[in-house]
Amino acid sequence: MKFKSVEHVRTELKKADYICSKTIATVVFLAQATQKPVLVEGPAGVGKTELSKAVARSLERELIRLQCYEGLDETKALYEWEYAKQLLYTQMVKEKIDDVIKGADSLSDAVDRIASQEDAFFSERFIQPRPLLQAISATRPVVLLVDEVDKSDPEFEAFLLEVLSDFQISIPELGTRKAVNIPFVFLTSNDSRDMSDALKRRCIHLYIDYPERELELEIVKLKIPQIDGQLARCLVDTIRNIRDLNLKKKPCISETLDWAQSLLALQVEDLSPEIVAETLNVICKHRADANQVAEKMEKIIN
Amino acid sequence: MINIVLKFVSCCRLAGLRISTSEVLDCLDQLKLVDMLDEKQFAAVLRANFAKSRREQFHFDRLYDLFFHELRQESGISHGDPLSEQIQDTLVTLGAEQNGNKTQQAVLDFLNGDPLAFLEQMQQGFMPGKGQGGGMGSNLGPMIQRLELMLQINAVDDMLMQYISDQRDRMQWETRRDLQTLFDARLASARRLLTRQGQSFEDDRTTTPSYQQNLDRLGDIHFASLIRKEVAGMRDAIDQLVRKLKDTVSRRYAAKNRGALDVKKTLRRAAGYQGIPLVLFFRHRPLRKAKIVTLCDVSGSVWSAARFMLNMLYSLQDCFTQVRSFVFVAGLDEVTGIFKDCEINEAIDKALKEAQIEYNAATDYGLTFRQFKRDYMEILNKKTTLIIIGDGRSNYSNPEEHILNEMRERCRRVIWLNPETQYFWFTGDSEMRAYQVCCHEVRPCQNLNQLLEFIQSLVL
Repeated sequence: MKFKSVEHVRTELKKADYICSKTIATVVFLAQATQKPVLVEGPAGVGKTELSKAVARSLERELIRLQCYEGLDETKALYEWEYAKQLLYTQMVKEKIDDVIKGADSLSDAVDRIASQEDAFFSERFIQPRPLLQAISATRPVVLLVDEVDKSDPEFEAFLLEVLSDFQISIPELGTRKAVNIPFVFLTSNDSRDMSDALKRRCIHLYIDYPERELELEIVKLKIPQIDGQLARCLVDTIRNIRDLNLKKKPCISETLDWAQSLLALQVEDLSPEIVAETLNVICKHRADANQVAEKMEKIIN
Repeated sequence: MINIVLKFVSCCRLAGLRISTSEVLDCLDQLKLVDMLDEKQFAAVLRANFAKSRREQFHFDRLYDLFFHELRQESGISHGDPLSEQIQDTLVTLGAEQNGNKTQQAVLDFLNGDPLAFLEQMQQGFMPGKGQGGGMGSNLGPMIQRLELMLQINAVDDMLMQYISDQRDRMQWETRRDLQTLFDARLASARRLLTRQGQSFEDDRTTTPSYQQNLDRLGDIHFASLIRKEVAGMRDAIDQLVRKLKDTVSRRYAAKNRGALDVKKTLRRAAGYQGIPLVLFFRHRPLRKAKIVTLCDVSGSVWSAARFMLNMLYSLQDCFTQVRSFVFVAGLDEVTGIFKDCEINEAIDKALKEAQIEYNAATDYGLTFRQFKRDYMEILNKKTTLIIIGDGRSNYSNPEEHILNEMRERCRRVIWLNPETQYFWFTGDSEMRAYQVCCHEVRPCQNLNQLLEFIQSLVL
């Protein structure tokens, strides 16, 4: 399946349980049309990873995820030879090797004969593909999610750049692998460091901010359909007020949803300061934040 | 269309955004794919291509607003506008009146819908060290530039007022009124730009100092001259470094079963099992963990350096097989137990209070070494790294460097950290010259940076 227009993206993503703004839809549509990677930035919990999952769902593609961390290297991201398997196979086919070299006149002849069988050991069979190679060699188009790319080292970023610009990977023993289908690539970043200009230049940039009121309301209603409309409105307003405070960690959409869930579980029908105070630990993940919210309770619930 | 986008791009560039040609090309390609008449889509395309970080986005949004909203009328679209002719006339007249003042011309251009020159001047007004006046690092130059712009805006404002009221006979009052509101709005937006820019570029990130900032600030201050608040900052910096080091070390252990195979070793082991490789060996081999013994001089000035080092060593305990520490002035006492039982900062205070040593005595390295030899010599072995922190000032008593030599024979490494300024090392009662030859390494250790460097080399 393919997205046909920006509007189409929106409706399809909505079907896949993801409500997005027009900006997001535009970028997703462009990324598909131009086959460029999307660099998604924004505060934690606004649905960066979820976006790629939703795109994968609505395009009916497999999602391949590469979680980045400091010290991630090529053997974890690209491919790895399975030495243990190779050695075990060597042991098991030992007799076969005897057959191959049986009747060889000289040592060099025997070596030549073994060399001609070399391919058997450096083949697909013994390679363990990691996410990047998986994404490139997949026969059906996939969605590749490189999560938290800012956590990886700059060297890895440079390496990623190479893969993303050509969509090919060279394995010395096997030769170059070119992508059968260009994957739909999402890179997400939490802004813990600036990405290099070169990487940015190759990507379409998307900044997802906390959603607008209407959008957030829609999201709450979509994810938790049994919630009462009045409560949902009140909830979203409260969350937005809390976001305006100077907090260490502002509550994001996922926290809004968690909160809505827990209010439902508590069978709350109307938000009161007491209720907010009791359920504060769902929204605020720092002690100082919780204190601050408790202090300014009247301002938050008007 | 292309022209408008290009004009916008040059505006952005003048205002300090970096936009490459390929990004412009991408943008133009992508514009063909979307519905350009829908402004949200149009803006999204431009933003996705031109503003590639949060900081740039604030900047971009402002420029976008300026270019496509506040100055929209003159972007070449609306020549049919009845006012445009009047605007032209007005500005041409005013332009003729002013005598070659670049800034004023820029303001006039801005009113005419061409913000390029104005933005350029403004950008100069925000770059420190540019513009005339003021020396290195002075912000006087940019200030002057901004002030100049501000003054010119006011001047143009006055001129316009004057001009419009002069035209009372030639123009209808509706036209005059419209002109007036238009120019007012535009001047207001120019003023807004000028006053708003400063903070908006440095977006609303929270300002917790990063690890690097901490280091930059505290790294070069001598331990002895730290004030209380800085000590707290120091602890944070140390905590951050410790966490980082721990990560690195644990990763090294995690990575030991990955990567390239050590064929030689694997086959050698396989020979024991009739050639079946039961155990795999990899090339990556983590370093052996070291055993650490520290001797800290806790007299006066030296203690401040020692406490930070102990703090780090104990935070990094996982990275060593064992850490034993001793404090001494004249005579020494083991404080390992205290550090094991208490939280680190508490332990440091406790060690000072509870250790059985005479704080008021004159420092005597010789005596300390003799006691160490008598009681603890057996804890040194070939896996031990001995770290001594002290200034080596032994008050002219016997330095007993031959004992240090014996200790050296028994351990893997002896490292001496000297918190004294290097210049004074070999003066007066300092025995550094005698001790130096007995150590594998002598390092200065006066500030956080030097200490960090040492700890890093010790752990990694």
